[in-house]
Amino acid sequence: MTTRKQRRRLSAKIGVIVGLCLGAVFAGFPVVWMLSTSLKPNGEVFQVPPRLITENFSFDAYWKILTDPTQLRFFLNSYIVALWVTALTLLVGILAGYSFSRYEFRLKRFINVAIVSVQAVPPITLVIPFFGLVVALGLYNTYGGLIVTHMVFTLPYAIIMTTAYFNTLPRELDESVKVDGGSGWTALWRILVPISVPGLIAVGIYTFMISWNEYLFALTLTRTDDMRTVPIGIQLLMGQHSYEWNQMMAMSILGSIPVLILFLLFQRRFIGGLTSGAVKN
Amino acid sequence: MIEGSTRVQSRAKRLLGVVTAAMLAVAAVGCGTGSGEGSTGSSEQGGGPVTLEFAQWWAPELPEGAFQELMTQFESQNPNIKVKLLSAPYASTKQQLVSGAASKTLPDVVGLDGAWVNDFAKQGAITDLSALMAEGKYDESQLASQIKVDGKTYMIPVVNFVYPLFVNKDLSSKAGVKTVPNNRSEFLDAAKKISALGGNVKGWALPLDTAVPNGIQNDVMSWLWASGGSMLTPDGKPNLTSPPVKSTVEYVKSLNDADVIAPGSLTMKEQDKVEKFTAGQVGMMIDSLAHINLIKKNSPNLDFTVAPIPAEDSYTGKRGLPYASWGIGIADSSEHKAEAFKLVEFLMSQQANAQLSTLANGFPGNNTAEPDFSKSDPLFKTAFDIYKKGYPANEFVGLPKSEELMRTFDENLQLVLTGKQSVDDALNKTQQSWASVI
Amino acid sequence: MGPAHIDRTVLPEAATLEAEPAPSPAQARRRPFTVRSLTPYGYISPTLLLIFVLLVIPIAMVVSYSFQDNVIVQKNPVFAGLANYTKVLTDPVFWTAIKNTFLFITVSTIAHLVLGLAFAMMLNTGLLGGLTKAIFRVVYILPWLFTIAVVAVIWRLMLDPFGVVNYILTTIGILGTEVNWLADPSTALWALTFINIWSGYPFFMISLLAGLQGISADLYEAAAVDGANPIQQFFNITIPQLKPVLISMAVLDLIWTSQQFALIWLTTGGGPLNVTEMLSTYTYKQAFSSYEFATASASAVIVLLITMILAFFYVRQLRER
Repeated sequence: MTTRKQRRRLSAKIGVIVGLCLGAVFAGFPVVWMLSTSLKPNGEVFQVPPRLITENFSFDAYWKILTDPTQLRFFLNSYIVALWVTALTLLVGILAGYSFSRYEFRLKRFINVAIVSVQAVPPITLVIPFFGLVVALGLYNTYGGLIVTHMVFTLPYAIIMTTAYFNTLPRELDESVKVDGGSGWTALWRILVPISVPGLIAVGIYTFMISWNEYLFALTLTRTDDMRTVPIGIQLLMGQHSYEWNQMMAMSILGSIPVLILFLLFQRRFIGGLTSGAVKN
Repeated sequence: MIEGSTRVQSRAKRLLGVVTAAMLAVAAVGCGTGSGEGSTGSSEQGGGPVTLEFAQWWAPELPEGAFQELMTQFESQNPNIKVKLLSAPYASTKQQLVSGAASKTLPDVVGLDGAWVNDFAKQGAITDLSALMAEGKYDESQLASQIKVDGKTYMIPVVNFVYPLFVNKDLSSKAGVKTVPNNRSEFLDAAKKISALGGNVKGWALPLDTAVPNGIQNDVMSWLWASGGSMLTPDGKPNLTSPPVKSTVEYVKSLNDADVIAPGSLTMKEQDKVEKFTAGQVGMMIDSLAHINLIKKNSPNLDFTVAPIPAEDSYTGKRGLPYASWGIGIADSSEHKAEAFKLVEFLMSQQANAQLSTLANGFPGNNTAEPDFSKSDPLFKTAFDIYKKGYPANEFVGLPKSEELMRTFDENLQLVLTGKQSVDDALNKTQQSWASVI
Repeated sequence: MGPAHIDRTVLPEAATLEAEPAPSPAQARRRPFTVRSLTPYGYISPTLLLIFVLLVIPIAMVVSYSFQDNVIVQKNPVFAGLANYTKVLTDPVFWTAIKNTFLFITVSTIAHLVLGLAFAMMLNTGLLGGLTKAIFRVVYILPWLFTIAVVAVIWRLMLDPFGVVNYILTTIGILGTEVNWLADPSTALWALTFINIWSGYPFFMISLLAGLQGISADLYEAAAVDGANPIQQFFNITIPQLKPVLISMAVLDLIWTSQQFALIWLTTGGGPLNVTEMLSTYTYKQAFSSYEFATASASAVIVLLITMILAFFYVRQLRER
């Protein structure tokens, strides 16, 4: 016999499912369309009325990309750069976040303001001076140049977030380590970081995304096909006269699959849940 | 308290270890084969072969490997020179060239659009080709045209793409349009009939996207030039308030008022215009000849033809035909200008130029080269005849800040088309704006 | 017993989960100069190094350009004082760009926040099983995975007058006739904002999801025992707990959205009739069409100054919390 509470719970559950489904349509429909476009020959992309699957459905576009060594190289480059950027940004971000969260020092507010506001300079105006600097440093057309450039863009975000996450952890945690004879360094790596893992993974994923999808500086700071990344590869398909719609979409989708896998792998850690983590949820 | 965190810690450590190992593996592969050099130009090993870097957007527009083959031909004729092709997305080419010039990292040879020449020459990005031609005692008469600034040549058009009128014959006959329109009234009439077919079909497409405002050059000014008109005075100053320009703008407005233009005009890009024509949503468009193969590939059953752009009803003179070029220039910062010029000479040589033009479906920049029409679509021969009967007309080539000029015109035209401004006001405002640039 | 946990309800500060206030600067200064007081600088040194070398130097160059004329694309730069600033500040298009940018970023950020929070809460619910939630999580993160050029291009395709969005809306009957979403001056900015909302909400969603994990369930239980309904719990527990994360993300999103360039350029190019002209497109046109890098730099510096004011207030409220 259903009680009022059970009925309310059921209606809440239905409400949530309906909400989730509506949201899923909102989030997923363009991606479905992307998939559909990647399977159409170029001539049918503008067909009216629009169809999800057309008669000349084919996987040609995917085949073309997977058998082209230049395109594959783009993928490899994007991964190398994005992975390094994520690792290094997290490292530097954790250190900086710890500093902001646990210490008071003279220039703190100034540096904080600086870090937040340097993101506000329009990248377009920065391109040329930045470019000159990278060339002068000998980092033109190298992985190092891209990695360091992307780090500069992702660090402010990483620092702000790590500071925020560390700020939610009480100082008693630090003290407990210090009481046992540990240093600030130990407190950071033994207590703060493990507890903040969900937040850090969120930061890591986002950093990866930014680096993966970055176009302007990747284009400017690379010269040869063996250094270029996926967004450039996609734009190369947008020709002077027309776009290679199906290949563009196929490349997008192919590029997103491994990132999706990464997300799937990490999401359990990051959602935490009731079985892991040092804090009872 | 420590117990729990150790378990988390060890799991975290393991994960970290895995990720680090993966990254190192990936990086090892990458660094092993990637170029870690900070090369900023061509390389030379004291007396050894010279490597020229050639940045262009042409290779992807040609059949697979065709352009590389041409380069191989060049290399075999010049054993001391190697050519490295660099490609960049077309939409970002200009911006990349400006940045490259500023940091002196431009490749030796650069593909150029005529509209950029003035500004790049002023920036000192590209070098004076007249001097190189004089040095190499080059026969300039074979060049169909040269783009000059202050009397010195900075760019040589390699292949020219003309923009005739494309007409969808299926739609026209269905709409009862018997002949291809030859003057403006006939065009307006045909457009009205085609639009009357209803559904999503319209008579004409006008791409007025302000990001890349080429529509002003290809789809608006072309009407002016087709009637022998000019937007400049004989000494190169803007002349937008003159009757021919006014009648052109009024004509475009009349087409808009007659509701024959495909919707979305204000943000339509050139690529959209072509897609819509290919999909049979637009009956007529002014477009690059280079698209013939594209249209045939995407829509093999589309029956269409090319024709000269309609002129004013009373006009009987030679008709101007808008064009865009694949132009070539040499970077001022190049250390191998002589070798670079050899590449230019090669691409402009009769045989190579004819070959390239045939592949690209354009017209040669070498006026002694005859493209081979035997294997291509009969429409090319039609277009070539139109080309020969008229004259190439693109007054934006060689003007400073041509993109900005087009954009100002575009923005004012949009105000006219949306009824927010009169034609006279628009022309006056644009004239003033242009006068401050030219 | 499972992994040991910190029983937060016992610790006095736990209820608010706030960090203990640090010793006041006055106290710190009174301490003798030791190596220890250099420690924070040590932690922050890699950041400072990177940002200083790679960001501050180019920014300084941009600032210097803004005070000159004939930079980059012409030889002979000359000092021009505030001329470029005057030129920018008296340009009506600049003010249109500021207005549009303001609308664009505020609507986008608010929508991102609301959607992100809504989705995060739905994905965090205890009412559904783990697998269901995992599947939806994957679907909701999709907009994030694609580079902005592709997002622009695919939405352009879908929002074409004869594209699939109009087709569906007219078939269902919501619309009578096709709407020119991106080419009609009255709808262009909203269409663009919608696309931006779509492509940006996963950021909020993921960060908030992580933040939600950090809220102790004890708080909810205690509130339920006190008779609070879900809505009251939401406003009295969830929101305050998430406040630091919410504010940080809002500030970041405002700044990032104001930099959005490719999306606008590839969909509308700042048109039609300048209704989608943003500071980013304005600056780009100054730099690469008018070849006026000095003016573009002046515009950039103005944006930087405005943001620094915003950043200052943001940092101040961080401290006072």
